[in-house]
Amino acid sequence: MRIHRGRIAQYKHDQLLREYLKQHLHELIQQKELIVDGKVKTPITTLDLPRLKYGEDSPVLARGGGQGGRGGAAGGGPAGDDEIQVLGGLLGGDHHGREVRVELDFDEFVRLAQEVLLEEIQLPVFHEPSRSGEVRTDALPELDDLDRIGLRPDLNLEETMLHALLRAIRERGRAEYDVELAQDGWYFVEDPSAYENHRSVEVYVLDISGSMRGEYLALVRKTIFVLWYYLERRYPTNLRRYVVFQDVAEEKTRDEFFCVESSGGTHISAGFEKAMELLQGVTEHDRFLFLFTDGETSSGDFDLAKRRFEEALGRFDLVCYGHVNPGGRGVGGFSEYVQEAARRLPRVVFANLTDADAIRATLGQFLTCLRRDRTGGQPWTPTGTSSSASRP
Amino acid sequence: MDAYRDIIERIETLARRRGLSFDPVYFRLTDSDEIAEVASMGLPNRFIHWYWGGAYKELVVQQNKELFSILELVLNTRPSYAFLRRANTYLQNVLVIAHVFGHVDFFRNNHWFAKSNKNMLNEAERHARQIRKYEEQYGRDRVEGLLDALLTVANTVNAFERNPAERRKRLIYYLEEKAPLEPWERHTLQMIREESEYFDLIQRTHIINEGWATFVEAELLRDILDTPAWATLSVQLSNRPAPYTIGYALFRRVKQERGFEAALQIRTYYEDIRFIDEILTEDLVRRLDLFVYDPKDRQKSYDLQQVKDMLIAQKLYKGEPHIEVDPASTPRELVLVHPEEDRRLDPKRVGLFLRAVYGLWRNPVKLRTAGKVYTYDRRGLSTV
Repeated sequence: MRIHRGRIAQYKHDQLLREYLKQHLHELIQQKELIVDGKVKTPITTLDLPRLKYGEDSPVLARGGGQGGRGGAAGGGPAGDDEIQVLGGLLGGDHHGREVRVELDFDEFVRLAQEVLLEEIQLPVFHEPSRSGEVRTDALPELDDLDRIGLRPDLNLEETMLHALLRAIRERGRAEYDVELAQDGWYFVEDPSAYENHRSVEVYVLDISGSMRGEYLALVRKTIFVLWYYLERRYPTNLRRYVVFQDVAEEKTRDEFFCVESSGGTHISAGFEKAMELLQGVTEHDRFLFLFTDGETSSGDFDLAKRRFEEALGRFDLVCYGHVNPGGRGVGGFSEYVQEAARRLPRVVFANLTDADAIRATLGQFLTCLRRDRTGGQPWTPTGTSSSASRP
Repeated sequence: MDAYRDIIERIETLARRRGLSFDPVYFRLTDSDEIAEVASMGLPNRFIHWYWGGAYKELVVQQNKELFSILELVLNTRPSYAFLRRANTYLQNVLVIAHVFGHVDFFRNNHWFAKSNKNMLNEAERHARQIRKYEEQYGRDRVEGLLDALLTVANTVNAFERNPAERRKRLIYYLEEKAPLEPWERHTLQMIREESEYFDLIQRTHIINEGWATFVEAELLRDILDTPAWATLSVQLSNRPAPYTIGYALFRRVKQERGFEAALQIRTYYEDIRFIDEILTEDLVRRLDLFVYDPKDRQKSYDLQQVKDMLIAQKLYKGEPHIEVDPASTPRELVLVHPEEDRRLDPKRVGLFLRAVYGLWRNPVKLRTAGKVYTYDRRGLSTV
């Protein structure tokens, strides 16, 4: 019998990681820039050996994406947006004594945060579902476009070889296949407008006016992470879109969404509008809107916000409105209006997010909605057009 | 393994015909998990430490997401053992087999690599058993704390250095000789030092070793594979991690300019520093898109000397800042010096590093760098 030393070592590593995270989650989750380059930066030193390192602004040895050979300038020049791969002490790809990063991969951070939060908030933990048979679809993603950037498994070998051949003839005058991926690679890619293979669309809308920091950020992020825990178990494939708003609303990437700066007024109507815009072309998904705000909508926006909220109810299967209220003050203005609507309308969940207990209450309502749907209650998505519904 | 017997024999025959020689190689099919385990720990049967756990986890995640897979693993023993991943396609394993013959030829013939301890597998097993005994005897936490500190300074080894005065400038040797350690602690230090020296030899020949194996792989398979398979290999060769592609490009250049015999000579007598210094050219630096990047002004420099210097410094000090023990150190005070260079130390790291060294030295430790002196003693860190 083999002793799984790697797994034992990983267990030890994760124990330290959990311990650290438990102690510091609240402080980590409040970082204004939560994700940098796909990683959650932490002051963790326990997971790395405390070896000496050069400062972050020191020159490093690096490789690019193969553009270097094409340039003519002798002395180099400014780095563009092309990928720069820093070659560490062991030059990358080394198998001996690799560095353990001080940063946590964002997905890993979320997973560990969920573990801690579920325990803290006392929410049920589900077993990992078996993935087989959960997603039934006739509509596989169609990789009908070509790009110079893509996934390795989607390499278009024919096109790549052709370019390698042309380059070999051009450079050496010989017709031989000697592929250099950085220079010759072509990939099959999906038309970015095709989202047919996703089963749920979740739009996260965040008010970034006013005091978007500290406890406010902690409550929003904790709620989102716990929501993800349950949504991921129901929707193995999902599409998440992110919107921030103040006077105007704009879509952000995930990483930007978790690093936003606060400024400007509060036009909740703009947030709803942008969220609905993102549903364009979405017909075969369960559609969720999660909106988080800490304040009142700007004067003059109230009526418009009401109209947009009502329109959103018609477009989304569920609207979850989080009134972020770490001070525990009373609920007034537009939030009060939504709170009232939530009492009447089954598709609205209102959450007065004052603390961790409020997250539990919100999730309770949310899970009730999911259960109602699972047990044959009101289906959210018109089933007539769907050949690939994910519900049983 | 039956499916591979013929191709192994064919590749082995081809390799011998090209002038390669090696000890017997035993191939074994295994799963990705075992390969990730050995790759993260460096050796099978090595002592278990949380630090390997992080690397192991990262590899497993990358393999599961199919972002990166270690396709092969070959152990530097006599005879050699090579692992073929069960999940590989037949073609991938054919590439691995050819690559392995490059490695085992290098193990046997490279002048520097030949100095490595071929019995390290058994040594590592013996160390692991001894460390487990110490854990029982002195407590797991105490042993783990010691291992953390020792692994922190382990990269200061220099397996190539024979001059005692020069060796003593390297922190781990100095601590071994002079630190007030208990006998079991000193023994643990010696075990870690011995393993680190083994890896130092491997790292100092890493580019030339991987480059040679990749070069041999291409040379042997060019005639065996059909055009689509060759194109697939060709794609792979240009998309491997840096040591493979850099080393491969250098050997290709040697063959183009001086012939295969010269490549054989280089694999026998060179290690990475000489290999880089002699073969890397401005043109290759461009071709490989290798540069020194200055994050302050977002500038890339393809200057050959700068790139070479950086590569060589990485070889000498494993990418970590170079520190030396000041000969003026006394039993009461250990003084470390970071020689002046363009690159500054990360100040956040200094205190943590000194705390680890203090844990071994148990008396005040100083570090002089860039006009500052950091001191770590029983009161903690202070700076002048």
